Amino acid sequence: MLDEIDAGSADSTARLGWSGLVRFLHLAPRAFLPMRAMEQLVLVAGQGIEGDRYMIGREEGFYSHKPEEGRQVTLFELETLVALKRDAGIELGPEEHRRNVTVEGVPLNHLVGRRFWLGETLLEATRLSIPCRHIEEITGKAIFDPLINRSGLNCRILQGGIVRVGDTVRNAA
Amino acid sequence: MSARPITTIKTVVAGIEAAGTGIKVFTLADPDRWDLPPFKPGAHIDLHLPNGLVRTYSLCNEPADNTRYVIAVKREADGRGGSRALHDEVGIGDVIGVSLPRGGLEPGADIARHVFVAGGIGVTPFLSMARHLLRIGNADFVLHLIVREEVPLAAHLAPLIEAGRVVVHRTSRAGRPDLASLVGEVGVQTMVACCGPEGMTDEFEGMTAAWPAANVHIERFVAPPPMIDPDAKPFVLSLARTGTEIQVRAGQTMLAALHEGGIDIPTSCCGGICGACKVGWIEGKPVHRDRVLSPYERERFLMVCVAGSNADRLVLDL
Ligand code: FES
Repeated sequence: MLDEIDAGSADSTARLGWSGLVRFLHLAPRAFLPMRAMEQLVLVAGQGIEGDRYMIGREEGFYSHKPEEGRQVTLFELETLVALKRDAGIELGPEEHRRNVTVEGVPLNHLVGRRFWLGETLLEATRLSIPCRHIEEITGKAIFDPLINRSGLNCRILQGGIVRVGDTVRNAA
Repeated sequence: MSARPITTIKTVVAGIEAAGTGIKVFTLADPDRWDLPPFKPGAHIDLHLPNGLVRTYSLCNEPADNTRYVIAVKREADGRGGSRALHDEVGIGDVIGVSLPRGGLEPGADIARHVFVAGGIGVTPFLSMARHLLRIGNADFVLHLIVREEVPLAAHLAPLIEAGRVVVHRTSRAGRPDLASLVGEVGVQTMVACCGPEGMTDEFEGMTAAWPAANVHIERFVAPPPMIDPDAKPFVLSLARTGTEIQVRAGQTMLAALHEGGIDIPTSCCGGICGACKVGWIEGKPVHRDRVLSPYERERFLMVCVAGSNADRLVLDL
């Protein structure tokens, strides 16, 4: 049935258009360590974020035993933090979700398989992130269930560069 | 790349300092001096020692001092080997994996007065708490430290003793003080806490039995067994392909027991939603707690990160 639906509708986000902003940037050099807020991140094509635990060759993240080419940078929606507060009464800060880039106005779940610009860098979304029990242990907050299906996006870096807070995020259709 | 998930925080020994007879203070830090995961005053961490032992120690620095974990370790010649390994084998620059901090005392907003009673090296969690209370400007606390003669961590405690915050009771001179008179009257705004050898914590527990639980905190040298579901029971996993038997402790996940047994199972969410840790089962009564398997699949598979067993034995297709 899904096969018969005009592929054009799957492109609706592109046609409707969206444009978002980079609101927060974070990294941590090793598993479990608090994420640190940064003014800018250096993205290296095909590798990851300079100084981050999942940078290829560094491999000091909780999931580094399962290397994943498509997890060079991770994104999270600011809107999810707002929704957690509104719907579940849980206050979660942008440093607590453990993704690198918190964006606003970017429909992350629609972007799997697509390319988009994050500031001057070009990313390809590989898959939705899934929540992990381990985050409840780190934050002490019961966020596993509320984060199912909105736990962010894993991406590969096609074109590297510097991403700064306030940069624009837009479709690369 | 390591083949196993990273389950501990990587720290390096950044300082070792003698702090009284048989006591050393170890400072652990991130290799790049990054902030460490936060902790409550008096929290404890597990150290995964180079010889394979895992030992728990209270932190004696305060939460605001967040780039270090500072522990004080008394060398117990006849202990189980953890303190000996730290004293005799560990040096500056050595890498030690530690757990996330657990426990600790939350200085409650409605608590106006704190009374701490410590026996010997049991002073460590209260050193953390005292430093924290001073930092946040909470004036009303006292720490009664009961020792035979020598004060442990003397250099660390000196300013607090001078300020009258720590009162030292030497049993070699004055005999054992009466705990009840040290602690004083029950008050809803008073928090009392004790850490020391078993005899002392038992006496303290008896004495404060009638107090509201929220106002009493007891920290034992031997960590109490972790809180587990009272209905949880141990069971045996039998691995059909290799004939191996693996014990699953009450409240432990099958996944953790399999990892301990050296068996790697791919995982991702560890919460029963992603499907990564699916394993076939052959015989037994599994309790499924996942949200990925269909009723049909559950007849043959289970998710080891969340599943349990309703029988003593569960045979897995591994
Ligand atoms: S690890 Fe995800 S279901 Fe078990």
